[in-house]
Amino acid sequence: MKYLSNEQIPDFFSSLQATHEVRLPIMLPDGTRCLGHPGDGTVALFGGALPAKPTAAFFPHEGPVFVAASEGFTEPSAPEKPLLVVGFTSRDLACLRFIDRFFAEGWRDDIYFRNRQGALVVGVSGYCGPGGASLALADGDCDFELVWDRTRWLVVSHTGAGSAIVEGLAETVSDGTLERLRKEMAVYEDENEKAIRRASELIRADRVPDTFWSEIGDRCIACTGCNLACPTCTCFGVQDWRYAGRVKRSRMWDSCQLDGFMREASGHNPLGTEGLRTRRRIHHKLAADPDRWGEISCFVCGRCDAVCPTGIGIFAVARELIERFGNI
Amino acid sequence: MKRTLTVCPYCGTGCMFYLVSDSGRLIGVEPSTTHPVSRGGLCVKGWNAFGFVHHPDRLTTPLIRRDGKLHPASWDEALGLVAERLREIQERHGADSLMFASSAKATNEENYLLMKLARGVFGTNNIDHCARLCHSSTVTGLAETFGSGAMTNSIDCFDNTDLILIIGSNTTEQHPLIGSRILKAARRGTKLIVADNRLIRLARHADLHLRHNNGSDVALLNAMMQVIIAEGLEDREFIAARCENFEAFAASIADWTPERAAPLTGLQPGEIVAAARLFAGAKRAMIVYSMGITQHSHGVDNVRCCAALAMLTGNVGRPGTGVNPLRGQNNVQGGCDMGALPDVFSGYQKVSDPMVREKFTRAWGVDALPSTPGLPLTRAMDAAAEGKLHGMFFMGENPILSDPDQGHARHALKNLDFLVVQDIFLTETAALADVVLPAACYAEKEGTFTNTERRIQRVRKGVEPPGEAKADWEIICALAKQAGCDKMHYPDPSAVMDEIASVTPIYGGISYDRLDPLGLQWPCPDRDHPGTPILHIGRFNRGKGRFSPVIYRSPAELPDEEFPFVLTTGRTYFHWHTGTMTRRTHLLDREERRSFIEINPDDAARLGVRERDDVLIASRRGSVRAQARITGIVIPGVVFMPFHFTEGAANALTNNVLDPESSIPEFKVCAVQVRKAP
Ligand code: SF4
Ligand code: SF4
Ligand code: SF4
Repeated sequence: MKYLSNEQIPDFFSSLQATHEVRLPIMLPDGTRCLGHPGDGTVALFGGALPAKPTAAFFPHEGPVFVAASEGFTEPSAPEKPLLVVGFTSRDLACLRFIDRFFAEGWRDDIYFRNRQGALVVGVSGYCGPGGASLALADGDCDFELVWDRTRWLVVSHTGAGSAIVEGLAETVSDGTLERLRKEMAVYEDENEKAIRRASELIRADRVPDTFWSEIGDRCIACTGCNLACPTCTCFGVQDWRYAGRVKRSRMWDSCQLDGFMREASGHNPLGTEGLRTRRRIHHKLAADPDRWGEISCFVCGRCDAVCPTGIGIFAVARELIERFGNI
Repeated sequence: MKRTLTVCPYCGTGCMFYLVSDSGRLIGVEPSTTHPVSRGGLCVKGWNAFGFVHHPDRLTTPLIRRDGKLHPASWDEALGLVAERLREIQERHGADSLMFASSAKATNEENYLLMKLARGVFGTNNIDHCARLCHSSTVTGLAETFGSGAMTNSIDCFDNTDLILIIGSNTTEQHPLIGSRILKAARRGTKLIVADNRLIRLARHADLHLRHNNGSDVALLNAMMQVIIAEGLEDREFIAARCENFEAFAASIADWTPERAAPLTGLQPGEIVAAARLFAGAKRAMIVYSMGITQHSHGVDNVRCCAALAMLTGNVGRPGTGVNPLRGQNNVQGGCDMGALPDVFSGYQKVSDPMVREKFTRAWGVDALPSTPGLPLTRAMDAAAEGKLHGMFFMGENPILSDPDQGHARHALKNLDFLVVQDIFLTETAALADVVLPAACYAEKEGTFTNTERRIQRVRKGVEPPGEAKADWEIICALAKQAGCDKMHYPDPSAVMDEIASVTPIYGGISYDRLDPLGLQWPCPDRDHPGTPILHIGRFNRGKGRFSPVIYRSPAELPDEEFPFVLTTGRTYFHWHTGTMTRRTHLLDREERRSFIEINPDDAARLGVRERDDVLIASRRGSVRAQARITGIVIPGVVFMPFHFTEGAANALTNNVLDPESSIPEFKVCAVQVRKAP
């Protein structure tokens, strides 16, 4: 198995810039972590999930769709070099797998795949969570994975492309560390994940009355943060800007917590109250997606709870829901 | 990919976020996770704050009016003309025939420089900004009672208090990240009293919701204080040690029984008694208010009552207490701090004080500075309408939509000899100008904003301005040069801040190297001072807190047979003021596309108006069309309308009657009729 010392990480990823457009977790001046280029700041692999969803590397907050001008029609080109994005936790990787699947089904979203196709995805796991907490191993869903065993990063490749990239790295003896870590991580039971599953059961069994959703909706200030932070939320709006001689179309993240999201041209809105919109947000992930895709589409990354200014992210709602309707 | 840490350009909460840009274009926003106010979140406006920046309507070149039309021009030509015409007017009609309107959207440095330009270069104290329209009552009322017209406490205090009285503030919509703190506090058991006749979101979480009549705040607050004194619930120790004029004040409200206030407020006497007991019973109580208190012809009196209630119960100068006016604009606190006001230099130093004038004369290297206070913005518009003012310079303000009585504002501006507007879009006001100067927006320049809790924070440049647009500070300095002043050049805004610090005691310790990452709260008198989260600890800024008795006055225009409804105006959550930026932001514009009024179901039924019908709303001053939103948010007899929409402008209806002391217009009450549109 390959490994990297923590000191080797910046240089290793810098060296990949010759062939790849590299993005990895860095520390910004105020202590916020984000995806940046090597050299934009100190590398910040430790600390758990990044506050902003790493899937934004493939599907940014706002991005071009096309420019239509009298001379013709131009679509944005794919990045010159394939993307290599580091910093997905196992939960982020599950989110990525999920959106890859539905962006590919039916109408393939070519704008998404322009960035995503050929991109390399790198997971992080082991004892590199917040304050040294453990992050479950992904064991797949990425090209290779960096596993922190408290002294070094074990480099575990999962695809041919991943192996090719890490080929030149030093070998370490296979001393069973990875297997040990896998076992250690497995014993941690995630309370949030349990709550999400239980909440899903209760909702699907129709145990949650509409009054509950109105009460939660009363606390929603429609900031849209829960949607914008969520890696499996991918709804977008489309905007046309008219310049002299050309029209530029772009798309930007949208939110089902907004009234305009579902409003009909007549002005009528089938999701016209905060209660209904809140219900939809949770229902979609915990009831509708399991029906459609066979899995709950909340992969418990924790971002909506971190970003919600009023404390009604999905974990908080799930817990309140279980407390009130779990024992009836 | 680049990330630029900066301050939200919308409300005075002062959230910070990173602008994300790629190849010189903004592609998104990411909240700062460590910021003490935003704490990793933002409201919908913050999340979309990048959305208008590259809009095709941005002004990219100076414009000069010729033959009635605006034509592109060079900077030299435009600034040359502005300097020449302003000087000409100054010579012919005197310096006080000019008026400068600064901007609560611009940085501290830019406000300071425009104030310096008006006073130091053109010799007039006629400088003001939109604080006149929002919190001038606070500045006057709190300066008189406490000695400082700013929010006494910090946003963090909402996490540790026992009771919050919210009066005239729709906090979750207008200061969303403060509103969310209040919501969370309520979940933890903090008591909420909401005094507002609209059923705002916070009212749904309140322990007590008082739906008192518009403009009856003095009656309500006086009666609450009467109950507190009558029942012996006042904090005698605090009053004795820290306040003055209590006896006279107590005598002035002795007959303000709840029974007397009931018919004026429309409340039951019991509701007033309950509110008084709840408030007085809290160990730590915060008062939060905003435009519902200030925008009245008796706005200063309203503020005096809020201050008195806090002093009466000993709720000043401790964590989790205080009188907390929430400042509206991103930098309206800073605009005031910088002296973009007719009577004070930066740091509220009076122009009438010879020592102060002496100090600024020396610092600026000028011969003399004008000593009589200038015109407030609202009075300047009247003067322009009467032909007494000849030239106006607007930086980032759009009075055609934001001032009361639109017909009057339009007439005033058209009556001028010369109008200059410096802005980022061709606003309704810029369209009337003789010269238009294209400015950089917040994302395209360096500087500082001061939020509602007096926190001075860094604004940073993420992308280049479009075309030839320049930062406001650069334009002002270039204009000063054209006007013959060779003393206004600075390498960058941090040098301007150094000058501000040298002449402004409350900003004395501020310099850019100290503002990362969290900013500093003024007063911050010297470089070693850590800033001041809570004012008036141990001692009021003016020494003793002053109880100011208030005589109840009703709003200037009350409903009658012909105009039977009270119209109250304000903002919506999704738009900002005159919509210049938010109506050009896709998602925000989609949320609220047109002008509307909220009307109670009973009234709507009586008028035969159905949901989303168009209605005509008319006052003595004008008539506009808007869509009806039928809702129990408003009580019968009251309609609410936002002022963002040029095609259904609430300010075509409002009443240009001013508070005698602060010159704030009565945006919150006027009489209208409503009927179904044909
Ligand atoms: S925790 Fe929240 S943000 Fe994360 S996947 Fe679940 S719903 Fe989305
Ligand atoms: S983050 Fe919270 S407040 Fe914001 S839209 Fe989502 S649920 Fe509502
Ligand atoms: S609360 Fe105010 S400062 Fe914060 S994001 Fe919203 S508009 Fe901007």
